[in-house]
Amino acid sequence: MLDTLLKKTSVRSPWLFRINAGSCNGCDVELATTALIPRYDVERLGCHYTGSPRQADIVLVTGPVTVHMRDYVLRVWNEIPEPKVTVAVGICPISGGVFRDSYSIAGPLSRLVPVDVNVPGCPPRPQAIMEAVVLARSIWLKKLGLEG
Amino acid sequence: MASFLNVLLQNLISGPATDPFPFGETFTPKRIRGRIVVDPGRCLGCGMCRHVCAAGAIHLQKDSKGWTITIWQDSCCLCRSCVTYCPMNAMSIDPDWHSAHAEEDKFKRIEQHTISYEPCARCGTPMRVMALDKARELYADDADVDPEEIRHLCRSCRQMSDAENSTVCVLRSDINTAQQEGRD
Repeated sequence: MLDTLLKKTSVRSPWLFRINAGSCNGCDVELATTALIPRYDVERLGCHYTGSPRQADIVLVTGPVTVHMRDYVLRVWNEIPEPKVTVAVGICPISGGVFRDSYSIAGPLSRLVPVDVNVPGCPPRPQAIMEAVVLARSIWLKKLGLEG
Repeated sequence: MASFLNVLLQNLISGPATDPFPFGETFTPKRIRGRIVVDPGRCLGCGMCRHVCAAGAIHLQKDSKGWTITIWQDSCCLCRSCVTYCPMNAMSIDPDWHSAHAEEDKFKRIEQHTISYEPCARCGTPMRVMALDKARELYADDADVDPEEIRHLCRSCRQMSDAENSTVCVLRSDINTAQQEGRD
């Protein structure tokens, strides 16, 4: 009963967590600075950036996952409780982008963890990131078994 | 002193500054780089786009029948190099920025065209048909040459045809440059 209540109440607000896996900061600027400002206001969707992976529901990964960052990314990613939705932001985590086949790249991200949503672009537009968050939210609801 | 009241009033009237997207429409700047598209009527398969592509998103496979050009949108960094360097202006950027997709569509987001050779109208050698507007541009000074016919000839047959008709085939841009140089 408490479980159902928790599920029903938390559905309105998937919390976001951001991992920078060796990004050039372009996608991070689009994510944290542009998608968070009142003009695009991601909080209308109930989303809220959290500082702790243990509180997160949707994880947004930027950067091509460098060899140095791989273990840290996996450690932080494993701290996020299930069910979680992984969103690859920008072409780097999706395919490696301009860094593909480099000696220092352990990615793309889908080689390390299961990815659910991709949003390509270099960087993607804030509206495209919003679209990805909406898509991630619907996938998250499906994972919770609460597709509405 | 009460100037803040003015600001307050303006803020009350002007309404929210938030973009209504994703619940409503949003604006799209005219020159936004959404995704890259190829015009299969103009592509010559020269491979310049693949050579200059920073992200290695362009794949070109050639055989005796023609070639297939494939662009993986999930790897394209939209640097516009291919648009700049394409000698036939076959590449362009589409402002469609709706790029978010689920993981299963990752390898479906491609721009792919198979372009096949056609036999030369005179000698039958497999060749690439010239784009119509390119033929029009080349033979703009010769009213008796039909661009629709000449574009279906291979290079050597076209040279023969030009020699027979004593046609001078000149690029417009060359004429402009020559005129400018003459003026200077």
